[in-house]
Amino acid sequence: MRPELPPIHEIWVYLAGSPLFALVLTLGAYALGLAAYERSRRNPLANPVLIAVVLVAAALSLADMPYARYFEGAQFVHFLLGTATVSLAIPIHRGWASLKGRLGALTLAMAAGGVTSIAVAVGVLKALGTDEALVRGMWAKSVTAPIGMGIAERIQASPTLTAIFAVSTGVLGAMLGRFVLNAAGVSAWWQRGFALGVAAHGIGTSRAFSVHPVAGAYASLGMGLHGVVSAVLLPVLVMRGG
Amino acid sequence: MIHGLLQLLLFQALGEVLSAFVIPFIPGPVVGLVLLLAFLGWRGRVPAAMDQVGSAILQHLGLLFVPASVGVVMFWPLLKANALAVSVALVLSVVATIAVTALVLKWLAAPRAQDDHAP
Repeated sequence: MRPELPPIHEIWVYLAGSPLFALVLTLGAYALGLAAYERSRRNPLANPVLIAVVLVAAALSLADMPYARYFEGAQFVHFLLGTATVSLAIPIHRGWASLKGRLGALTLAMAAGGVTSIAVAVGVLKALGTDEALVRGMWAKSVTAPIGMGIAERIQASPTLTAIFAVSTGVLGAMLGRFVLNAAGVSAWWQRGFALGVAAHGIGTSRAFSVHPVAGAYASLGMGLHGVVSAVLLPVLVMRGG
Repeated sequence: MIHGLLQLLLFQALGEVLSAFVIPFIPGPVVGLVLLLAFLGWRGRVPAAMDQVGSAILQHLGLLFVPASVGVVMFWPLLKANALAVSVALVLSVVATIAVTALVLKWLAAPRAQDDHAP
C-alpha cells in the first residue's frame, strides 16, 4: 500500500508556519538576484538586493502572507546584521595603517557627507510638505541599517521605514555612484570607496568590494565611522530640534 | 569557523549588555564594533577563524538587508501617496552625499604615489 500524501494545502500550512518558508524564500530570492548581477557583468543597475526585495514582496502578496509572519522566519537572517556590524571592525582595523595622515580629511569628509545627506533628504520632504512620519524616517537613512534602526527607535521614527529608506539609499548609491564619481572627477579608489560607504553604507560597500578591494576597505571604514558618529550624535540633534 | 563565529557573537553580546545597562544611547552592535576594534588593536592581528567568518558575512551584507526592507509592503499606501517626493528626496540626497564626501576628500587629502585609480 502506498502511503497517502497529504493534500497540497496541508503541506503549505505546515511550511508557512515554520521559519523554513521565509528562509528559503529570502535566500532563494537573493541567490537569483546575485545570479542576475553576475550575469549582467556586475552592472550596478542589476542590484541583487533590489531584485531580492522585489521577488520576496511579490511572493508574499501572491501567497497572501502578512509581513509579520514572514519576518518571524526571516529574523534569523535579520539578526546577523548585528554580527555584521561587529565584523566591520575587521576591515577598519586593516585599513588603520594606511589611515595615518588621512584621518582628519576622512573625518571632515564624513561629517560633510552626513550633514548633506540629512539636509537634502529632510529639506526636500519638508519643502514638498510630506507626512511627518516619512520625514523622521529620513534622518538615519544614510546610516547602515542595523545602526540606523537602532537610532530610529531612539528618535521616535519607524525602524521599518528607516530600513526601507536606508536600503533604497544603498541601492541608489550603488547604482548611481559610478556616474556621480566620474562626473565629479574623483578617480582614487580609496576616495571613491569612502564616499560610497558614507552615502550608501552596506549596499554601497558590497558594491565597492565587488569593484576594487581598496574601495571596499575604505567603504567599510566610511560606513563604520558614519555609523558610530551618527549613533552618538543623531539622537541628541533630533531631540534638540524637536 | 565555529571559533570565529563564537568570538564575533561574544563581542556582539558584550556590546548588547553594555548598551542595555551602561550606555543606552549607543546601539549594542556599535559598542561591539568598538570593543572588537580595541581588541584587534591590542592583539595586533585578526585571528584567522574570525577573519574567515567576518569576511563571509560582510561579503553578503546585502542579503541581511532583505528581511527588513521587505517591510516596504506595510508602508506601501503611505509611500505610494508620496512616491514623487520620496523618490526625489532619496535620489538627490544620495547623489549630493556621494559628491560632497568625495570632493571634500579630493580637496583635502594629498595624493600618494601608491594610490590606485579607477580607469
